[in-house]
Amino acid sequence: MARQPHITSRGDERVAWRAGAPEQPALLELLWRRYPYDEWATFIRCGWRQLPDGLLLTLAALEAQGPGDLDESQGHVVLQEPYVLRAALNAERHNLAVGVVHSHPQGYAPRPSALDDDMDTYLASYFESFAPGRPYVSLIFADGPHGIDASGRVYWNGGWHSVTRVLLERQPVCTWISGRRPAKLPPSPTTKRLTSAFGEVADERLRRASVGVIGLGGTGSAAVEVLARAGVGRLVLADPDVFEPSNNERIHGSGGRHVAAPESKAAIARDHVRFINPACQVAAYVGRLPQPAVLDTLADVDVLLGCTDLQHSRLALADTARRYLIPALDCGATLEGDDGDVTAQVGQITRFLAADACPYCRGMIHPQRLSQELMSPDERARRQDAAERAVARGERPNPYWNAEPQINTVGYHTTIMGAMTAGYAIGWITGRFDPPFTRLQMNLIAPYLDVTDQTVEHEPPKADCHCRQGRGQADQGLRFAQITSPGHWPREIRLDIAT
Amino acid sequence: MIRERIDDELGQLVRGGQAADLIVGDRPFVLYREVPTSGAARGLPATVDVVVPVPDGHPAGMIDMAGLPIDSPLIGRVKGQARDVVVVDGRQFRMISYHPHGNAGGPPYDPNRHGFHTYYDWLLTWLANLT
Repeated sequence: MARQPHITSRGDERVAWRAGAPEQPALLELLWRRYPYDEWATFIRCGWRQLPDGLLLTLAALEAQGPGDLDESQGHVVLQEPYVLRAALNAERHNLAVGVVHSHPQGYAPRPSALDDDMDTYLASYFESFAPGRPYVSLIFADGPHGIDASGRVYWNGGWHSVTRVLLERQPVCTWISGRRPAKLPPSPTTKRLTSAFGEVADERLRRASVGVIGLGGTGSAAVEVLARAGVGRLVLADPDVFEPSNNERIHGSGGRHVAAPESKAAIARDHVRFINPACQVAAYVGRLPQPAVLDTLADVDVLLGCTDLQHSRLALADTARRYLIPALDCGATLEGDDGDVTAQVGQITRFLAADACPYCRGMIHPQRLSQELMSPDERARRQDAAERAVARGERPNPYWNAEPQINTVGYHTTIMGAMTAGYAIGWITGRFDPPFTRLQMNLIAPYLDVTDQTVEHEPPKADCHCRQGRGQADQGLRFAQITSPGHWPREIRLDIAT
Repeated sequence: MIRERIDDELGQLVRGGQAADLIVGDRPFVLYREVPTSGAARGLPATVDVVVPVPDGHPAGMIDMAGLPIDSPLIGRVKGQARDVVVVDGRQFRMISYHPHGNAGGPPYDPNRHGFHTYYDWLLTWLANLT
């Protein structure tokens, strides 16, 4: 007799499950291998991170399977004992969460059957002996008429929790919660043109989507403007800085009152989003990546945009993409000049997916500049003083301090790059288009914009780089992290916690 | 700071015969114990304890600098300007401007290749080249 797992999740709980390449295509290939009529399954290993309001799980690996591990003669999933035992024994040798993913036949609902209930009740209890204290996750995928439908549940801390978001890299998923398809949203009058271009499904995906934007200056505020107007349902915003009058030339949403009485850039962006789209939920932080509360809030975003020209921010973005499987796009803009002439207006967009090369592999990191960015104000002052004294002694200053280049930008340029990046995020969320590059550079004042684009073939991860390790391992892959928050950074502050 | 990573790196040194500990205080340091020097022939200590700060944002921040016990006769004999005094594990150390990865001879710092275990080699070089 089937025993229905009793779901204990609260209404405000977030339980996200994410996947990314190369595990994601391998998973889907397995799940669809007996389509359209028959199911298939695989055990999985997942990284995880406990959130203040839930849990994030990230696909780290598929548990290898061989002939006879599942019963091919049955249309539904029958996991054979050797495969179950092997997954359990392997769980004793790693520190990841364990689980199972299976398909339902094409066009069927991803709703757990009585057999699924029996399987999950048994496996959750079984794996608890081999992986105590770790979550057990069970997911169901089905290829439906409008794309992939999925549902899931997690046994953790003595109770069952519904998966509230299933997120695949560059592939929209409709997440069924507690076995129910989300109610259809009425068409929005404010995004009618976008809907007519991309379709009703795309409009709905945008309204259910969540995007993180790190850095809310010229490029970030432009990206936020585009995303809010496109009807994105939730924005997670972070920037540590306070507005300065000179920012008014670039920052969307700023104006005379901010010049007179500066606020945090996060507050300005939050207010601007609410002005554009009061229905959009905003979580705004005076803070930055990889600070823990910012990372927690980003756990279930569809896409993460990096909009700073800082090396540590770019590195944290790539690290988040790799370990937590959050697809990310980084953008930047800079003007180059010579004796009063503007000689180049360069913009760059860089894709960071889980398996993409990291900023080190791509030669985007200047180690000393990165270190200087991360130093405490006291240490920076000491180094600058030592550099001055070295110059006075007739020595080179750069062992102590490298002069930090001033990044010159103007509003039209940052707006172009921020808006383009937000456009590619919309492409991913809607499933309508994909940036055809891993890195794009262009110069607004060069013939044909002097566009150069890189692909995975041009920028593969280096063989000895840590970025080849820890993919999808979330907090369990901390030893492969490329950056941590310095202790001297002011603690991140979430605005509007009372609301 | 990623303690697990630093423990791994120091474990490699310990297996090779060099004792080193992570000292976590207001500011974390790695304390390399009794590092060999070339001083014995000149009546200087043959070994010395050395501290190296765990950089802000580790492992992204570059491993840099070194400190010697405040009363060590090697201060002034090793390369680099003397700087501030720090207290590590209840002892005072004088920090010295030694920057092997900062345009001072060594390769650019890359956390994918470098760590407190590879920094040990630079400390050996530093303590072998006494004036």
